[in-house]
Amino acid sequence: MTVGPVDRDQATAEFFDAAADGRFVLRRCPDGHHSEPAGAQCTTCGSTQLAWVPAAGGASLVSWAVVWSKPESGSEQVATVLVIGELDEGPWWWSRLEEADPARLAVGLRLKIAFRDGGAEAVPVFELAG
Amino acid sequence: MTDSPELRDPADSGPRAVRPGLRPVLAGLGLTELGKVYGRTPAQFAAEAVRLAVADAGLTLANVDGLLTSSGVTGGVSLDLQRELGLTDLRLLTHMQAYGSTAGSMVTYASLAVQSGMASVVACVFADSPLRPERGSGAIYGTRHAGSGWWGLLGASGVIGANPMYALAARRHMERYGTTSEQLGHIAVAQRAWAALNPAAQMREPITLADHQASRWIAEPFHLLDCCLVSNGGIAVLVTSAERAASMAQPPVHVLGWAQCHPGRYLRRNPDFGLVTGAATAGPAALAMAGVGVGDVDVAQLYDCYTFTVLVTLEDYGFCPKGEGGPFAASGVLGPGGKLMLNTGGGQLSGYYMWGMTPLSEAIIQARGHGGDRQSALHDIVLVSGNGGVLDHHATLVLGGPAAGP
Ligand SMILES: [Zn+2]
Repeated sequence: MTVGPVDRDQATAEFFDAAADGRFVLRRCPDGHHSEPAGAQCTTCGSTQLAWVPAAGGASLVSWAVVWSKPESGSEQVATVLVIGELDEGPWWWSRLEEADPARLAVGLRLKIAFRDGGAEAVPVFELAG
Repeated sequence: MTDSPELRDPADSGPRAVRPGLRPVLAGLGLTELGKVYGRTPAQFAAEAVRLAVADAGLTLANVDGLLTSSGVTGGVSLDLQRELGLTDLRLLTHMQAYGSTAGSMVTYASLAVQSGMASVVACVFADSPLRPERGSGAIYGTRHAGSGWWGLLGASGVIGANPMYALAARRHMERYGTTSEQLGHIAVAQRAWAALNPAAQMREPITLADHQASRWIAEPFHLLDCCLVSNGGIAVLVTSAERAASMAQPPVHVLGWAQCHPGRYLRRNPDFGLVTGAATAGPAALAMAGVGVGDVDVAQLYDCYTFTVLVTLEDYGFCPKGEGGPFAASGVLGPGGKLMLNTGGGQLSGYYMWGMTPLSEAIIQARGHGGDRQSALHDIVLVSGNGGVLDHHATLVLGGPAAGP
């Protein structure tokens, strides 16, 4: 299934640099709180002294939605599973879950981050872990 | 800092009761043709709506000294509306945007302006014109984000538009509390039955629970019939003082209470996501300001971009305990003949989709007693919700019928 395309901007340059190397990075403050990549200040303590740190890549399923393509004559409807994953470091991330059977999804299901070629940049998606 | 409510001063945690003196009243309501109405711009709809609201109150445009404008997904309504309407020397003029909570917020700020004497007749207007004859409604709110930055990344991974975001919220509620698609369907069926009684509603053919279940998936757990309409048109209301309204044309609808809550956790870790919304804070605060409880509510007009939005708001306002919105919706309380007068015009699901002006307009009609075949016998206390973003912005209004002035 295809992703993208997406282009970097100044706010996302470090994120996409890491993604190109296969690393999903989060923000971390001096006190060790992790925040979502898009955060400009720590969502726990408000610190603006944020470093980019790699996430381990593991996540748990928080919720999911199954989006169906619009029915067109002669073509099968295609289902895309979109999920919220809770990264093991704490922050949540919204993306698609690839190669999953919608009927077998459950809260807490183990996921892992993977990357797909989104044209100019690599795009993180979720896969089932294990 | 999002997790430190204890840092707030509890003494300022909610609005105060409406002060005696200048009591705010909704005195005018203007609805243009709504729905598949083509060939007009949002600015044209907005101007017409204000003219209709002014005429409804028995006033002329020269009486208007305040104007709050808002626009929908297509924009196009701006401060230029002042010039378009020939309004001169306004004492209040602002364009507002808080998404689906804007209408409630506009009435709140207009009420504050009237209370303070800053302005005496304030028009609040919303208009939008997203429907075009050649374009499906699904394309309008499913537009891809710009192709760069964080928004571009979200879109690139397929998380596009309101449907999947609200579906994620609903699924979380279902998994936590056992809420079912059939229970959501009861809301859709009940509102369609109300719409059949509303001449202004777009979808008036009755539907069954089976129709709801058979309608195609949009974003599971949402079927097509869980999702609101898309409409063209404009709606305006006039806020003035009870003293001024006494000499106007319509029964006064008192603005008794208001509150907002903006949780601020969009695309952030949020333990409340899909489970509790800003309505849980704003609802009780607005009711307390009005000096009433949820048991005193005669009519409720709840924002219904999706059936699920209604269900979670019913819980958050306290019509039923948290987590029991599904069984409550399926218990037979909804629809004509049910004991809860809810979304009596058909709402956004079956009536018309004018963002927060949909519940507000029907609330005014009911509070006045002008609901015709769908009129609630009791209409002294009318509760109105506004919801914007993905359950991110909430505005509650408590309105009082002519007999319920403070
Ligand atoms: Zn921190």
